[in-house]
Amino acid sequence: MPQAAMEGMVDALRCTGVSVSYGDVRALADVSVGFAPGRIHAVVGQNGAGKTTFARVCAGLVAPRTGQVTIAGRPIATGDVSRSRRAGIEMVHQSFALPPSFTVAEAMEYGATGSQMFTRGALQRRWAAHLEEVGVKVRPGQRIRDLPVETQQGVEIARALVTRARVLILDEPTAVLSPEGVERLGERLRRLRQAGVTLLVILHKIREVMALAETVTVLRGGRLIEAVRETHGISGDDIARAIIGAEASGRQGADTLAAIGAEEAPTAPRQGSATAAPSLPPVLSIDGINAKAGFGGPQLHAVDLKVGAGEIVGIAGVEGNGQRTLVDVLAGLVDVESGTITLAGRDVTRQGLLERRRGGMRIVPFERNQEGLSLGSSLWRNWAARDLLRLGLFRGIRPAQLQRLCRDALKQWDVRFHSVEQTAGSLSGGNAQKTILAREVDADARLLIAAQPTRGLDIGATGFVWRSLQALRQRGAGVLLISSDLDELFDIADRVVVFASGRNVGEFTAPYDRAAIGMAMTGGVR
Amino acid sequence: MTSRLAIVIRAAGYVLLALVFCGMVFEFAGYSAPAMFRSIAEGAFLSPRALMSTLRWTLPMFIIALGVIVSFRAGYFNIGAQGQFYLGAIGAAFAAEALAGVHPLVFIPAVVVSAVICGTLWALWPGWLRVRFGTDEVITTLMANFIAAILLSYVTSGPLKDPSGTGQSSSSRPLAAIYRISDSGGLSPTILAVAAVTGLCVWLLVNRTAFGVLSGLVGRNPTMMRWQGASLSRIGLVSFAVAGALAGLAAGLEVLGPNGRIVSGFLPAHGFTAVLIALVSGLSVGAAAWVSLFFGGLSAAALYLPVMAGLPAAAIAIINAAITLFITARNGVLTDWLTRTMIRRERAS
Repeated sequence: MPQAAMEGMVDALRCTGVSVSYGDVRALADVSVGFAPGRIHAVVGQNGAGKTTFARVCAGLVAPRTGQVTIAGRPIATGDVSRSRRAGIEMVHQSFALPPSFTVAEAMEYGATGSQMFTRGALQRRWAAHLEEVGVKVRPGQRIRDLPVETQQGVEIARALVTRARVLILDEPTAVLSPEGVERLGERLRRLRQAGVTLLVILHKIREVMALAETVTVLRGGRLIEAVRETHGISGDDIARAIIGAEASGRQGADTLAAIGAEEAPTAPRQGSATAAPSLPPVLSIDGINAKAGFGGPQLHAVDLKVGAGEIVGIAGVEGNGQRTLVDVLAGLVDVESGTITLAGRDVTRQGLLERRRGGMRIVPFERNQEGLSLGSSLWRNWAARDLLRLGLFRGIRPAQLQRLCRDALKQWDVRFHSVEQTAGSLSGGNAQKTILAREVDADARLLIAAQPTRGLDIGATGFVWRSLQALRQRGAGVLLISSDLDELFDIADRVVVFASGRNVGEFTAPYDRAAIGMAMTGGVR
Repeated sequence: MTSRLAIVIRAAGYVLLALVFCGMVFEFAGYSAPAMFRSIAEGAFLSPRALMSTLRWTLPMFIIALGVIVSFRAGYFNIGAQGQFYLGAIGAAFAAEALAGVHPLVFIPAVVVSAVICGTLWALWPGWLRVRFGTDEVITTLMANFIAAILLSYVTSGPLKDPSGTGQSSSSRPLAAIYRISDSGGLSPTILAVAAVTGLCVWLLVNRTAFGVLSGLVGRNPTMMRWQGASLSRIGLVSFAVAGALAGLAAGLEVLGPNGRIVSGFLPAHGFTAVLIALVSGLSVGAAAWVSLFFGGLSAAALYLPVMAGLPAAAIAIINAAITLFITARNGVLTDWLTRTMIRRERAS
């Protein structure tokens, strides 16, 4: 502690003018911020705000285009993990990186510098003391894969501390923890701080920021919005507003729409829809769905949801709160435990995706390049998959005819391509998404599930996608739009349903109360 | 089409590189590389006799390779062609034993059908394990080859043993001459016609059916096809079945034609060479015909070298191995496939 007091004036970690770009996407723009030593700092922001990139720059995992990282006053070479580690920075990743078949002691040794030969017993004795010191209750001989998630995280933290790290970065450590686990994590962090470690914690939920951290730093769209504000001097509402971008949003939305030439004003996005909705049965009705977690996010608890004909229903929520599981369940790729899914009046709960697609379900999946397209295959094959699957395996086809149909469809959807034989991987993001829409939005589409359809698209392509969804609504189809961009939902959704921890926690209609939605999203009390 | 052509040309380039490498190996081993290659060419292509022999080996490998192409295109690395071929041969031999005496017009198709069924079944169990439990088909099909080889040994020295056999390797009783579709030279219009028709059928399957397009998409990105509602296990099983059926067909022709019986350990490497043919041809049916001819030539030369030129037949094994190395080490079919598979399996687990 005395040393920390002496260093009081020098930031434990400081970033100056850090900018990072991935291709055309700007992940961080000129971020300058310094973190005082011996404290617990939270970094928050929506998905895509640049939190993880920021953490990775600090840990030396990503080299910034411009900017400098300083540790305890000394600049270090950026983008060099081993140098960063030697300078005293360690990072605990969101998805754990420990080999599951290792014992705890082996995993510790793996994180240590230098290599020596040990017998198993010596190895375990060597690390028992360290684990004790860090406060992780685990036997060094246990295998990683046998440990509960919370203990694994403890081991991960202990592993990060074997090199006597001065700064420890935790990337969304609460994502895998139960509420009690979060409390214990808090104790662990405070004990580390007592030992003089500076902590940088990436978080999603405002409640956790308030509970765990002493200061909060907010990133939005790669920019620094709030820098190292004391948490006792700022309200949850203010943080929510900083994260989501309250005051600017209305104008921003209008600007966006003006820029893309959309005819609808954001204040009146629901014309012609409300009249049609009540008379017709819903295209999609989900009743009391419980489902185990899919690949991403928590399980679903008693989710009810309806999408009417001619209606765009938005799903808002911080990423990883069940949206992914919801789409998996709707696609029939994850089984439900209980509840029913009704598509246009027919119970499809036990049906496979092909059957559901025959019933008019269409999906624009989350991962455009993995789930939406086969990048190594030609455009016409990607496009023809939908119809060929309905045809049956051994029916003859005429490639020339399919290619002609595909060419016409892609032109109609304004995809820029030179040949239907070119691979889908050669398209830009916007054109790739249009190709997916060209396939998914056909005359028989009755329900379109659009998962983050505009993520990573430029403003023109975004506008195109929005107009497509609106055209579908006009035609009487239902649209379920999953988005982590609230502005997008406010602009084009007729209703917004908020998901948190796999539950439907609230439903909102225009005029939207941004603060209330923000609180619902981040698990705050309304 | 042009991109396919590019793949084939690139593959040919790697084959050439492999041959240059082999030439260096020959020189180091104390043989004259030009003399070695001249002898190989003589044994493969430079006389009518050599050409006949080349064609004899080309046809079975071409038929097997067609099946391998179908399973590879669907993303399944079925390297069990050798074992599927052996099981097909066993099926053919049992049918031949049971049907001895019936009219050739019944006998021959029945033997072929039996061979096809047995080959198919031998491909289906690893296929089923793959689609049902995600068991790595590389391991299962590879191991199935060994089991099949042992089964063949057992059958030829047990149930179907030829009592008059003299020794080196056990075999079944030879077929009566009226049941044979070629002499032991191995070439006949029947076999040639079957190979050509099979080639055409597989070309149609790959290029003119929904299965061809869909299995190609599954092979490149199974995740995307899951989101389209495809039944991956159905496409997978069909791919395995086609591969096994064609290996079985080749075996049936072999039993009815050049061999006239089954012999323990016969055609020991040709199923593996067929896998190589599939890779070198860039999974294109048309290219596979030409590539098969090349490897057929090497197989013919392997018999020619020690007998006529007094050179070691191992030279051919070295050439095959070098081509395998060069083809698989390039940033192409296999590496792509491996990365994709690894990613796929990581996601699945």
